[in-house]
Amino acid sequence: MTTDQTPDDMDVMAAEYAMGLLTGDELVEAKRLAATDRTFAQAVTDWEMRLATMTDELAPVPPGPAVKQALFAEVFPASERQPWWRKLWVWQAVSALSVVLLVFLLTSGLGSQPPESGPLYTAEIVSDAGDFRVVAVVDKSTNEVFLTRTAGAAPEGRILQVWAHGEGEPATSVGLWPEGDTIRIVMPQDIAAVEGILTLGVSEEPVGGSPTGSPSGRVFGTVDIPGVSGSI
Amino acid sequence: MMTPDGRDEIEALIAQTALGNQTAFSQLYDATSGKLFAVCLRVLTERAAAEDAMQETYVKVWKNAGRYQVTGHSPMTWLITIARNTAIDRLRARNVDHDVADYSERLAAPGLSPEQSAIANSEAKRITQCLDELDTDRRAAISGAYLQGKSYQDLSDQFDVPLNTMRTWLRRSLIALRECMAR
Repeated sequence: MTTDQTPDDMDVMAAEYAMGLLTGDELVEAKRLAATDRTFAQAVTDWEMRLATMTDELAPVPPGPAVKQALFAEVFPASERQPWWRKLWVWQAVSALSVVLLVFLLTSGLGSQPPESGPLYTAEIVSDAGDFRVVAVVDKSTNEVFLTRTAGAAPEGRILQVWAHGEGEPATSVGLWPEGDTIRIVMPQDIAAVEGILTLGVSEEPVGGSPTGSPSGRVFGTVDIPGVSGSI
Repeated sequence: MMTPDGRDEIEALIAQTALGNQTAFSQLYDATSGKLFAVCLRVLTERAAAEDAMQETYVKVWKNAGRYQVTGHSPMTWLITIARNTAIDRLRARNVDHDVADYSERLAAPGLSPEQSAIANSEAKRITQCLDELDTDRRAAISGAYLQGKSYQDLSDQFDVPLNTMRTWLRRSLIALRECMAR
């Protein structure tokens, strides 16, 4: 399990890992390599793609309709069933962040209007791994969104792109974020018109933005801002 | 597999799902659940068990859609791999640490490698053709490991050969398979 392994040994190990044949020390080693060795990680994916073609001949079988119902009940529990502590945690974070942001907006000169001129909504977008964080402030008086990056960045040669959608709507691009720690973007009309839950997300994309109209790179995270309304 | 048009559509739905779009997730389910259910059913054989595995599969898809691009898969193979691994984990009835969560610790692919492009290419030889070039026993061993989650121990019992012989067999078969698919 060391550097004297031949490329074939490594590739076979990647195949065994993809199939779930490894146990004990070998499994530990394969997991370590998958997280640290780009060639090995690639080899595992290549094998997963090769092996998946073994299912090519399987004709689709429609599952019972109850499966979809159970799935959606699990993934999207009714909002009243959301644990209270979760809301509390969110609001604690939001209130702490809004203080930071108000200071930032007032001192940076980015806030073209005093914040009390219209509803302001603050939220934080955090990746699952915690390696990427963006604080967002939506200003409904001007329909602008202010974003501040507090951790992480797009990979070298890539840029950030901001996305948004209303409940049940397809996500659309709010704008590109090519550089800098902060950016102010005027929201497109469709997004400015959203009432209720506004979802914001950030992905990393090629320099010109996603070529597909949907995120094409890693989506760092999203955040739902409830109760968004255009009026004061 | 999906047509090129279908591929783009599935990819767009995964991207929208990553942004928390429930409608896109619902469409993704409608477009792909038949195939993933067939995969779960092939592994688990019982309908109820396969339905449970499929539900778990889509929960993982919902939670991990943002990582899809990082893994460098084509969209259907990404979904099939999650479904297969979830079904195998359930079949083995033990929680081997081998599911989609592993992607969170897997290094990002810089883009589609030439090999991946070849694999994704519809002209690439399908694994079944290459499996046909192997001896019957070896073909059965690879298929048993992938679709029935058999361990080296299971396989060595099944073919009545020592464990190490089984490993050597299977490893050689994998190399032969890779070479056949790259031809």
